[in-house]
Amino acid sequence: MDIRLAGAPAPEVHSLPDPPVVALYPPEFDGVRPRLLVEEGAEVRRGDPLIEDKRNPALKLAAPAGGRVLAVRRGERRAILAIEIERSDREETVDFGAHSIESIDALSREAVLERLLRTGLLALIRQRPFSHMADPENRPAAIFVNGMNTAPFTPDLAVALEGREAAFAAGLRAMARLTDGLVHLCLAEGAPAPEPPPGERLRVHRFSGPHPAGNTSVHIHHIDPIREGRKVWTVRGEDLVLIGELLLGGALPTHRVIALGGPGVRESERRHLRVRIGSPLGAVLEGRMVPGETRAIAGDALSGRAFAADEGIGWRDTAVTVVPEGRERAFLGWLMPGWRQFSHSRTFLSAWLGRNRRWDHTTNLHGSPRAMILTGLYDRVMPMRILTDFLVRAVLAHDVDEAVRLGLLETDPEDFALPAFLCPSKTDLPGIIRAGLAEAEAEGL
Amino acid sequence: MKFLLHWIERARPWFGPEGRLRRFFPIYEAGETFLFTPASVTRGAPHVRDALDIKRTMITVAVALVPCLLFGIFNAGYQYNTANQVADAGFLAHVFQGAWIVLPIVLVSYAVGGAWEVLFAMVRKHEINEGFLVTGLLFPLTLPPTIPLWQVAVGISFGIVLGKEIFGGTGFNVLNPALTARAFLFFAYPAQITGDRVWTVVRDRAETVAGFTGATPLAVAADVPAGASLGEALREAGFAWSDMAGGLIGGSIGETSLIPIALGALILVAGGVGAWRIMAGGLLGLAAASGLFGLFAGEAVRPFVGMGPHLHLAMGSVAFGLVFMATDPVSAAASNPGKWIYGFLIGALVVTVRVANPAFPEGVMLSILFMNVMAPLIDHAVLQAHLRARHRYLAGFGHA
Repeated sequence: MDIRLAGAPAPEVHSLPDPPVVALYPPEFDGVRPRLLVEEGAEVRRGDPLIEDKRNPALKLAAPAGGRVLAVRRGERRAILAIEIERSDREETVDFGAHSIESIDALSREAVLERLLRTGLLALIRQRPFSHMADPENRPAAIFVNGMNTAPFTPDLAVALEGREAAFAAGLRAMARLTDGLVHLCLAEGAPAPEPPPGERLRVHRFSGPHPAGNTSVHIHHIDPIREGRKVWTVRGEDLVLIGELLLGGALPTHRVIALGGPGVRESERRHLRVRIGSPLGAVLEGRMVPGETRAIAGDALSGRAFAADEGIGWRDTAVTVVPEGRERAFLGWLMPGWRQFSHSRTFLSAWLGRNRRWDHTTNLHGSPRAMILTGLYDRVMPMRILTDFLVRAVLAHDVDEAVRLGLLETDPEDFALPAFLCPSKTDLPGIIRAGLAEAEAEGL
Repeated sequence: MKFLLHWIERARPWFGPEGRLRRFFPIYEAGETFLFTPASVTRGAPHVRDALDIKRTMITVAVALVPCLLFGIFNAGYQYNTANQVADAGFLAHVFQGAWIVLPIVLVSYAVGGAWEVLFAMVRKHEINEGFLVTGLLFPLTLPPTIPLWQVAVGISFGIVLGKEIFGGTGFNVLNPALTARAFLFFAYPAQITGDRVWTVVRDRAETVAGFTGATPLAVAADVPAGASLGEALREAGFAWSDMAGGLIGGSIGETSLIPIALGALILVAGGVGAWRIMAGGLLGLAAASGLFGLFAGEAVRPFVGMGPHLHLAMGSVAFGLVFMATDPVSAAASNPGKWIYGFLIGALVVTVRVANPAFPEGVMLSILFMNVMAPLIDHAVLQAHLRARHRYLAGFGHA
């Protein structure tokens, strides 16, 4: 389904100056129980460990910049929200050892894992089912590299990877070291294939169509679906570049390309930005937003998460979407013909008269929550062998066995963002699925 | 509008959890969201939402019913003026007379049904469901224009309370509430809802036109004896196919004419609100079953047995039932293949009941209610087939 939102980022990259203070944001490393290794005021090099995982001390979260630890910000129950580092002029850097592309092929699985653990970049690799950070103890049956984005305002991979093809290829080779199975690279139809050409263990797959054709769950489902007892790893193309840069350069990468888009961003500023990882949000958004109350979202507007005011661009952020908060109330909205509102349904005149227009969206819910009434709507945007209505009902009924038979483990909450967008009952489908996945995991499935 | 909005916002605390009028919050909520779209914003992903909500969905269904209502009003007046030989009755006279007959029925349905809806919303502390807007209009359209108003009130009460609210409100009911209401009247007060005399309002039987019987085409067709010609009998009674399709004949208020029903179906399908699979499945079922019975047709049996699907469709309420009743998403099958099966079986059952049941010639209402009950079973079967297909698909990749 093509949701025609206004605010797509232009395919050009604009470099932002590095901010004086960058930060590490431990909450984005889900599953890590942080133990703080530095104190405020300490001098650190880029790549020095700031935090280690209490459960797996080999896993460290590294400083994204060299300089002085300015502050450790804490939130509820003293959880560490951010470690701010004031960059020094020289920015000393830890050397993790540089490799040539060819020598990556000779690395052992342990050697690759060790670098990912020491820098925390392992968090860029996710594990299915349940979508969390890859567990280094597991040998994945396959690794899926998602080299395409279809969600609104996510980066154009061709733009984000421009000039970084070598790092991408290095990352691909490193993935082949991590699994005994195949590495599947999923690309959009027509996108350039990477160098070197697919090897024995690398398969290239092409997907086409509107969102959610770029969702990892869809790729896995059609290539080699998750079945009982089978674990796979997934990684996004943009993230693979960072892993490649770490291996090629030997130092912790510093920049990434993010997409800045959405109707809350001034039109001339909707484009790709090359930013320092760990930049505070203000440095990215300052002077680029439209006036009024807006919401900044990490990721896309369908499945992303709202930024807190003092957050910043973390390791895993690839897009920032800004959407105006929609608190206006329309008089007799249910009666109005609807010239100016976007709906996938055809009950608004806009659906008939503005087929090619793009619509300014706000965060308005457009209605109030109700019992689930309409049926068959969700499956239109679920390109997998999954009956969404039944799966959601099984999860709501806490019938985990039935939900798993219906394909729960093949899914991620992000797959239910589009059905939830459509849902006239305004149901929180991603939340339901997240709870269902947690329940299934707790039962040890 | 600003003033109104300001006034509504100011009244909000009275109905809040601390306010003196908190019991009446559902009424406040309904009135407030009726006047202004809610200001609520999304709490998490997805951060943007489609503009469609249940209010608009239900309003679309109600809008789709309006052609039937308007035609029903006109037809009720037309039938009245014809049967009672009112002199010089023109278009406006038909409309006024029809409105005088039909609108009280609709108003009673809405008022009594609405009162129940509000009462349950207050006691059970849920919002007032917009589905009632549809039920309250659907129900009167299935009634004969002669229905006593107290029966409308009793019927809609039964439908709303026992057909819907005891299950937990809209979204949880097994049966279609409007049909439940009609079925209740049908069995409780058969004299006012069956037979030849209820379909047209007449002042005094003695004064009506010569030859006016008030029988419906279905009754006429069902009574044609073996060996006689069905078509001739219908024409004699004044029911050519075009008459039955056009609908200027006696019958329940909203169901006589195919034209406004088709218009309603168009609105439902074009708006993406009504399930076209159910409608199409119903037509197929109708055709298949009448074709099957057609094999038994011959000199020895009533010609009604072999009646073609185009006649079945034009007679009685099958078109209305398939478009507006069978497509109720809550009581219908939920899966797409299930919708085909569900619609098909309704169509086939209607013909079966009509042909095989000697007691009464119409079977639409009971067919749909029966399939309402069967819908979960259909879904279960579809689900099992889906799970087997999934299993085969996964097994095709071998085991981990």
